[in-house]
Amino acid sequence: MAPAGTGVIPKEKMMLGVTLSRWTMSYFFAALSALVAAETMMVAGFGYPAAGLRAPETLVLVHVITIGWLSLLMCGALFQFAPVLIARRLYSDTLPLPALLLVLAGLGLLLAGFLQLAGWLSTLPSLLPIAGVVLSAGFAVVLWNLGRTLWPARPLPLPARFVATGLVSLALTVTFGVIFATVLGQQTNSEPLLAIAGAALPLHVAAGIGGWLTLTAMGVSYRLLAMFMLAPELGGARPKLVLAFAIAALVVVVAVGIGAVLTGASLLIPLLAGSILALVSLVLYGADIVHLYRARRRRFIELNSRMAIFALASLAAALVLTFALAAFGRFTDGLGPVVFLLVFGWLSGLGLAKLYKIVAFLTWLECYGPVLGRMTTPRVQDLVVEHRARKWFWLYFLAVWFGTLAMLVGQAAAFRIAAAAMLVATIGIISEFARARLLSDVEARSDGPDAVRRPHLLFSRPPAN
Amino acid sequence: MTTTFVDLDVRPILKDGGEPFDLIMKAIAALGPNQGLRLLATFQPIPLFHVMKSKGFTHEATEIGEGDWEVLFTPGQAVEAETPTQAPAAAAAEADDSKWPDPEQQLDNRDLEPPEPMVRVLAVIETMQHGQVLSALLCREPIFLFPELEKRGHQWRGGFEPDGTTYKVLIRVLHNKEAA
Repeated sequence: MAPAGTGVIPKEKMMLGVTLSRWTMSYFFAALSALVAAETMMVAGFGYPAAGLRAPETLVLVHVITIGWLSLLMCGALFQFAPVLIARRLYSDTLPLPALLLVLAGLGLLLAGFLQLAGWLSTLPSLLPIAGVVLSAGFAVVLWNLGRTLWPARPLPLPARFVATGLVSLALTVTFGVIFATVLGQQTNSEPLLAIAGAALPLHVAAGIGGWLTLTAMGVSYRLLAMFMLAPELGGARPKLVLAFAIAALVVVVAVGIGAVLTGASLLIPLLAGSILALVSLVLYGADIVHLYRARRRRFIELNSRMAIFALASLAAALVLTFALAAFGRFTDGLGPVVFLLVFGWLSGLGLAKLYKIVAFLTWLECYGPVLGRMTTPRVQDLVVEHRARKWFWLYFLAVWFGTLAMLVGQAAAFRIAAAAMLVATIGIISEFARARLLSDVEARSDGPDAVRRPHLLFSRPPAN
Repeated sequence: MTTTFVDLDVRPILKDGGEPFDLIMKAIAALGPNQGLRLLATFQPIPLFHVMKSKGFTHEATEIGEGDWEVLFTPGQAVEAETPTQAPAAAAAEADDSKWPDPEQQLDNRDLEPPEPMVRVLAVIETMQHGQVLSALLCREPIFLFPELEKRGHQWRGGFEPDGTTYKVLIRVLHNKEAA
């Protein structure tokens, strides 16, 4: 055995590793397609700000972004990284495909249902209730798979607890959505459901953008940022407080909020109290992330970590903007720009930055993992060309910030120009992902990846044995 | 149905730098029905929890002061196999409780950026003889390395050092160079 004095803990002989999630690339492809579609709509002046915040066209745009882009991105990432957080394998590597198809079909029906509200497709019976059924079935399969993955790993390490809370929030968000769809589709006369559909939209948004997307992104970022920057994993009380305040915020907003909706009371108090709790959580999170960047052992950090700073700065800016607007009594008309900055600066910015690393890393692992040690292999960084990608990321973030300003001052034409710049930047970034995935830059630098199997663009091949 | 607990104090072994894993496994094997194990250790033996869980034990860990831990392992119903792929690896590990030789090679990969630690480990393994052991220090659990080791038929044991930040993995190379 090991020499005396090493103190190695030798008890785990068959510790499980993590394999590649087969359909994660398919989720990323679907998600990026939705992002391009959403940006195209914004360039065309479809939905907010050209239409009202609650107009059917805005609902179409918002759900292409939140379900098509962000939720599919997050689900695809979680199928790969939730197992990493707990060092176990995914419960099922097959279920993600039917889940993806159900979510896509449900999203299509949902969008068609919204268009019906706008007076299109009016000859058909309302599609919203069936959209609710199909979408919730898709997310139920996602939740089942990730839940069965996480459940045996209890007690969960902290980042996984963020993810678990995010998944509960996803279930809540979908539940609200199904209630809205049922009521808007005129399938129910239940008074509590009508009350919820009438007033609970802020709860749906808070559970979706706050609980599901932001909390999950925070949890995964703790681990990924530490991993890619060689920083020590965060311990201590602060990350626990971040989660505790976030959960408290969610409980106050959703539980107290539902109580308020059902008793006809104002949502102002739970929303305000929830915002304050969420703010404390986010400030503590910000302190943690600053600490991670400072404690890193790699002095030079890669593009993905540098661009994540812009996303985090967008999150901070959205908070400052919220309070500035509240202070000037303009909170309600400033809601659009704040949500835009959160969705495109923070969540989408972080998503695109991390994808830049994730796509290259997963592709590298798929192609070169089996031959490591047996032949010379490129490094992960050899799959990407950072100086070429950098300009697209800069353009993306500048366009998002410019678009936020244009929205704030009510310049719809300027906003469309910003959206066009975002679209160009996004396509540029996606082309970099595709080049990494297809090993184009490895080929350009060497004799090419002849000795390894070429990866498929849309999914990972199962291991050879 | 009450569970009685058999005591096992591995703190002296750990303080001497020894490895109590085999002792713990023997104590577990000797347990009767409705018997659990009360383990005293100098740290919270998290990786052991997974092993014990696969044997159908639940655990309850309590810090008892001065960094020492008391862990109660209670027998329950055997848990279902979590993945089909676990079975062969577990079986292979179970079948081999023999002593491993001292490490032939040592690697300190703590300051390398991922996935370089994995690249180096796999590269060194390819140069080693059947039965030799490689010891590697890492700054986190190498979860993407394990499937590669499994595919190549090697065995490994790993865990965090008591400092909680260094992960040490021992890999026993199980291929014949000629056959590889």
